[in-house]
Amino acid sequence: MSKKVLIVDDSIYMRSLIKTAMEGAGYEVIGEAQNGESAIDLALSLQPDLITLDNILPDMMGFEILKVIKEEGVASKVIMVSAVGQQTVVNKGLSLGASEYIVKPFTEEDLLKVVDKVLA
Amino acid sequence: MIENLTDSEMKVATKLIFDGLSMAKSSMEMILQSPISIGQIDYINADLDVDRFGGSEQDVHLIKTELLGELKGTSHLIFSESEVNKLYEACLPEKVAKDTSKESTIMKLGFLTEIDNMVSAAVITEFSNFLGLEIYGNVPSLKVMKATELNDFIVKDSSELEAIIHFKAVFHSEELSIDPSFVWVFHKKFLDKIKDSV
Repeated sequence: MSKKVLIVDDSIYMRSLIKTAMEGAGYEVIGEAQNGESAIDLALSLQPDLITLDNILPDMMGFEILKVIKEEGVASKVIMVSAVGQQTVVNKGLSLGASEYIVKPFTEEDLLKVVDKVLA
Repeated sequence: MIENLTDSEMKVATKLIFDGLSMAKSSMEMILQSPISIGQIDYINADLDVDRFGGSEQDVHLIKTELLGELKGTSHLIFSESEVNKLYEACLPEKVAKDTSKESTIMKLGFLTEIDNMVSAAVITEFSNFLGLEIYGNVPSLKVMKATELNDFIVKDSSELEAIIHFKAVFHSEELSIDPSFVWVFHKKFLDKIKDSV
């Protein structure tokens, strides 16, 4: 059975890019969220295997979403996918429970390599 | 304002700005899959030459990213109408680039704002690491306006910042035939942090 993925990004272009890459690699994209509130709702209700999580969203930061879903016991693996690339920020994401942190821009190959590793 | 720096401080500031723009250039090359060069970098608060955008009555697309965190500032990435169309044709699937439906239009605008998001973030990351400041770029916003309105918009948009610092650069892609302008405005704290670092 294919692994289920939730994509969280305010950019429709980026969601489309990630979705195309994921589906091409055999993953099932079961939801998309463009803001934090929707991301938390979908993470709790869908319980995906993987969440790709942008860090700057219109209503909250990805870190806050990460904290909430971890506190709520969501077992999904989280890969942060963000243009914010400072090492301190990357480290913070990982310390809050993200499995990996990908800095935009990235290639499809880079993305899938990380996703395959996290979901292995 | 940047002229208030000493020679050694100026060297640090210009190197930092150049390094930030170089990272932005690399990001833009990766997104557009095309070689990009950086034209002249200006540190003066002079008007942009609107003729570069195809004439004063042409539409320009300005994508703005506001800094969040320990330093106030704003970036503006500016494309002419014809440059935007070239980007769509070169970088988006044909069915999206040529389609005028609401869905495709949203995708096109999303593509433009995402270019700005990644390019401005590259500069922000460089500045954040060097200056030791916790700063992020907010969600970018896009405005379409006449080229004649551009300079007034940037001045008005920057007026909320105290003692502003400017720098401007033009990226160039021979292959795509585009020359987007990249304009940054910072609060004077930028200079204080440069002085601290020397």
